[in-house]
Amino acid sequence: MRPQPDGTDASHPRPPEGAPFALVEKGVNGLSLLALNASARALGLWRGQAHADACAMTPQLISAPAEAERDRDALRRLALWAERFSPSVAADELMPGFEGLFLDMTGAAHLFGGERSLLSDLRGRLHAAGIPARLAIADTPAAAWALARFSTAAETIAPAGRTREALALLPVEALRLEAKALSLLKRFGLKTIGNLYGLPRAGLARRFRGEAGFRVVERLDQALGTLAEPLDPVRPPPLYRVWVPFAEPVMDVDGVAFHLPRLAEALASALGRDGQGARRLRLTGFRVDGRATMLEAGLSAPAAGAEHLVRLLREKGLERLDLGFGLDALMLSAEKAETVEAREAELDASPGQASLHALAALIDRLEAKLGEGQVRRPQPKESWVPELSEAWTPAGPSPSPPPERDEARLRPILLFEPPEPVTTIAELPDGVPARFVWRRASRRVVKAEGPERLGAEWWRPAANEAKRPRTRDYYRVEDETGRRYWLYREGLYGRENADRAPTWWIAGVFA
Amino acid sequence: MSLALFERPAIVDPAVFPRASEPLEEVGAGEPMDAAAALGFSLSRLTEANDPRPLVLVTTADWLRERGRPFARGLGAWGATAKRLIWVRTAREAEALWALEEALKSGAVAGGLATVEAPPFVATRRLDFAARAGAAVGVILRAGAGGDLSAARRRWRIRCGPSALNGFDADAPGRVRLSAELVRRRDGPPGAWLLEQDDETGRLGVVAGLAGHGLDEAAAGRDGRLAPQAA
Repeated sequence: MRPQPDGTDASHPRPPEGAPFALVEKGVNGLSLLALNASARALGLWRGQAHADACAMTPQLISAPAEAERDRDALRRLALWAERFSPSVAADELMPGFEGLFLDMTGAAHLFGGERSLLSDLRGRLHAAGIPARLAIADTPAAAWALARFSTAAETIAPAGRTREALALLPVEALRLEAKALSLLKRFGLKTIGNLYGLPRAGLARRFRGEAGFRVVERLDQALGTLAEPLDPVRPPPLYRVWVPFAEPVMDVDGVAFHLPRLAEALASALGRDGQGARRLRLTGFRVDGRATMLEAGLSAPAAGAEHLVRLLREKGLERLDLGFGLDALMLSAEKAETVEAREAELDASPGQASLHALAALIDRLEAKLGEGQVRRPQPKESWVPELSEAWTPAGPSPSPPPERDEARLRPILLFEPPEPVTTIAELPDGVPARFVWRRASRRVVKAEGPERLGAEWWRPAANEAKRPRTRDYYRVEDETGRRYWLYREGLYGRENADRAPTWWIAGVFA
Repeated sequence: MSLALFERPAIVDPAVFPRASEPLEEVGAGEPMDAAAALGFSLSRLTEANDPRPLVLVTTADWLRERGRPFARGLGAWGATAKRLIWVRTAREAEALWALEEALKSGAVAGGLATVEAPPFVATRRLDFAARAGAAVGVILRAGAGGDLSAARRRWRIRCGPSALNGFDADAPGRVRLSAELVRRRDGPPGAWLLEQDDETGRLGVVAGLAGHGLDEAAAGRDGRLAPQAA
């Protein structure tokens, strides 16, 4: 099935009804027509015609530059909306000017009351959103492509197993061939697909060799289903999904909030049946104007509790859904799911397990509200450089592994990242500073301990030679008020990069 | 139930340092530069109960920019070991209060602190209830002590003090000392103590008021208790 998105969009003024209109693109031979409306076609203009010729034929032709990027975006948005009919939707952008959507409806048409009513439902919804469309259902994507574009009716159904007959009378253009191949076929007098059926394949294959648009036999096989044509869906289909259609569009957030618990329960029971828990949750609202609006939430540990799922999405903010003129369907899907491992342990109701669940739920709620990556746990790293010695990674419910080396060195509790520069006065050039100025306040050093020398990690790649890390001498100093600082001098006098004078920095403060 | 009727309010000796934490306490730095000491003291309040559950640090973006980020290798010395720590970053103070409340009432954490400058009274009451519900300890960490209304049962003001004499090297900083002033408390009169960190256990204890420790009799009483400063 493929609705053809209208070439016009909101930013251009809509051409007057019935006036010839064309989108033009810049090619090697100047401007040429890319897409035309019905009245332009009726005047005898055609796709690919030079814009100058077209203007000479019809001076009243209105044209606008084609914007391929925006067309692609619009098609993708439409593809996301079309997920209400099938979990697997592919945007077909292979041939410019012939864009469309592929919906894999295998085994799903009965959900919409059969193929006939599915087509009229889909076309009706697209029409309501101002998108004229031609649709077809066939056994193969290639056959559906051909029927949607070259059949006489706007809705066509090729009965299962009778693709050959359905395609026989269509012109050879319906095979998605290049202009060169088409003109060659025409020269042989082969005008319809049916003409090709009786020809010897070997001869046909020998004459039409080369790139995909030229291989007639391959295209024919794809249309008839003897050669597989995999679709590339816009999004990988979700693992678990439940959805609810509405008879009347839902206009406000309260309506969504009302339906959410029921959806969550259905999803939770689907997940629970397989012993799975959701790791990524997505709530998709299908708008009446042919767009989709979504809300996503990640989970730190697989969970399948309906209450938790609802709470998570509420925390994320249902008001973030852009409802537009209303939703006519709502879908809740688990984009990522993992096996719930702690099920057995739950039975003995040990407090450790229960609090682990509570912690996972807490982390999920915090992340949902504050944004992903805002909740972190420390992860020790193998490095002596303080800034590199630990990473704060997004939190999971179980703690990060203990450090490989458990050194008992005195370290500050607050670290400046990046370190802040200080100016120092020292009695000896490479000794402990006697005074230092940090944040415009001068501090007298009363007690000091050091240096703790940390060599540069020469095995790490440096951005450039001038920025190559140097040896650092760390000092723990205390000023007259008793505040303790961690200062360091980067570089050694006269030894390391003698042209760069050693510099002083404050790395952190002790409690 | 019946026992509660006969329960008498605990008699508080104002000279004794209150070791056990209340559900919600407020810790303010005496001066902005004492923020690190206030953070250390807050952590000692959170870890007082020997609860193995995780600890939550909630920081606002402003606080991080000004004070630096928590360094897990150093926090460990205050009882907050790396595997217990959860760090939550928020953009605004209202979010920080919300995050701390969620954490405390979840029952999954032993305690949590949030760096909030001006908590509204209602928010502190909510935190107090949340901490009771989750059997956790909450600490509001402020850069300066405020005289505003708060439901916190204890309000501390922390200042750095010159460190203790280092027995191995007289020129090096010794054990951490800080002065903790209890500005307000529900269960008794205010007080002030000079505390010292035991560098083996990481716990804070009152400095023994013996002669020769650099404290004169007027400043530190028998229990190392300082005379409360006029607010």
